Amino acid sequence: MPASVRADLEHIFRAAYPKVVGVAARVLGSRDEAEDVAQETFLAFGRTNVPAGEAIGWLCVAAAHTALNHLRSGRRRAVREEAAGGAGDAVAPDVADAVVTREEHRRVRAALSRLPRKQAVALVLRHSGLSYAEVAAALDLSPGSVGTTVRRAESALREELNRGQSSE
Amino acid sequence: MASHPSEGLLRRLLDEPDGVADVDRDHVGACPECRSRMDAASADALLVASALRCDADVDVDAGWQRLRGALTEPAPKVATRKKFTLRSPVIAVVGVMALLGGASAAAAGDWFQIFRAEKIAPVTVDQADLVRLPDLSAFGTLTVVEKPNLRRVEDAREAREVTGLPSPLVDDLPQGVTGAPQFTVGDRIRGVFRFDAEKARQATGQALPAPPAGMENSEFSLTAGPGMAAVWPEARGVPALIVGRVAAPKGFSTGIPFETARDYLLSLPGLPAGVADQLRSFTKEPTTLPLIVKSGTETSFTTDVNGLPATVLATRDGTLAAVVWVDKGYVTGVGGSLSTDEVLEVARALRWKK
Repeated sequence: MPASVRADLEHIFRAAYPKVVGVAARVLGSRDEAEDVAQETFLAFGRTNVPAGEAIGWLCVAAAHTALNHLRSGRRRAVREEAAGGAGDAVAPDVADAVVTREEHRRVRAALSRLPRKQAVALVLRHSGLSYAEVAAALDLSPGSVGTTVRRAESALREELNRGQSSE
Repeated sequence: MASHPSEGLLRRLLDEPDGVADVDRDHVGACPECRSRMDAASADALLVASALRCDADVDVDAGWQRLRGALTEPAPKVATRKKFTLRSPVIAVVGVMALLGGASAAAAGDWFQIFRAEKIAPVTVDQADLVRLPDLSAFGTLTVVEKPNLRRVEDAREAREVTGLPSPLVDDLPQGVTGAPQFTVGDRIRGVFRFDAEKARQATGQALPAPPAGMENSEFSLTAGPGMAAVWPEARGVPALIVGRVAAPKGFSTGIPFETARDYLLSLPGLPAGVADQLRSFTKEPTTLPLIVKSGTETSFTTDVNGLPATVLATRDGTLAAVVWVDKGYVTGVGGSLSTDEVLEVARALRWKK
């Protein structure tokens, strides 16, 4: 391992990798792409001296940003993919997922990429299981405003989904 | 009865009831209006949870092996299912910041910037080469005699006052970039390099070609800055947009001509031959500032910004782009989590307030 890589990387990786993949997967809707983003995030993290106690927050925020950036840059690609018959590696089917169709997934991701960045990141972090205190610390928000930020984001996404349904 | 709790508080009540004060919890229990608002919040939360649900059952061991390979591979030429490249866009932004925020890289050991920059040309380096690029400190002593003291200032006015540079005005922010910029400034940095043949021999582990006469008694002074950067921030991730300007790096020699010293440094073992060849070609234009372009993940091309030659850098996955150009002794850059079209649009429409 190169000397420039932090010594505690493997320990932190093993503890945090599933969570970091989960954050990216919620943004991207694809586990394979999410693993790419998580790898990219840990590569960057390995060269930082972020204190171990702040690692999980740093990693989740960085993964969310990186995934949102991919979402943004992937919008044009998505149009092509759709024309070619839809995304190949979509979300695993699930009984609860039946209420949210693939088209709705696409709309959710489009809406995510349009949200103010802080709202989108807070939403994804919260839905990835971070506590209000952890989201607040990771985003430099006051704990009291996490709920407001998440609520606004959810409301915006719901409107996006409803708009899609009413236009169908 | 207490006033109605905010939407944010109702939302937290769904997830972490213990994080909400008793008085608010009691209120919601007794207030039909708040119960109804909370039901709406709950429905939205469930819908979004369902929409964001994903299969994230990962193989941690396989993930670690992959990361370890990426960290130790000298040059990952064969990409494994590379929809995205593996190098971090964060690193690229840090690189742009280093250039914009006082060119501290010049003192840290990036001796390509020894000459005054009037033009920018990209140098392509494999990831492996980049890792092996010798730090100047391995070839002598490098002392920072003036520190850049990078710091946040209140606003554009203070940034102008501190640096004496005009501050950028962006009239039309790219889509997704919002709010007011934060300003970071840096003072002029100055580093002095003195070559040490014995140290260089130890660093490279082999006999060195004889240095030119006077090499060991010469001092090379490197300066850059002052500089300022306007950053449209994201919490702790990639900045959405950076616009920065810094007085171009300059080099001075107290002894033998700078070109002689540079050619000697270029000839030392430890510098990959391909890079040395490329650098040597730049020496024909002593006013060119080479930018290191990591060939595995970044692309570059040249264009112009309002008639001035400019270098555009972008990560191959399109998540980050930057454009850099030199005008009247100042290096100016625009970068961020944007497309190359967007950074060029911002660059070409920039206005400067004195």
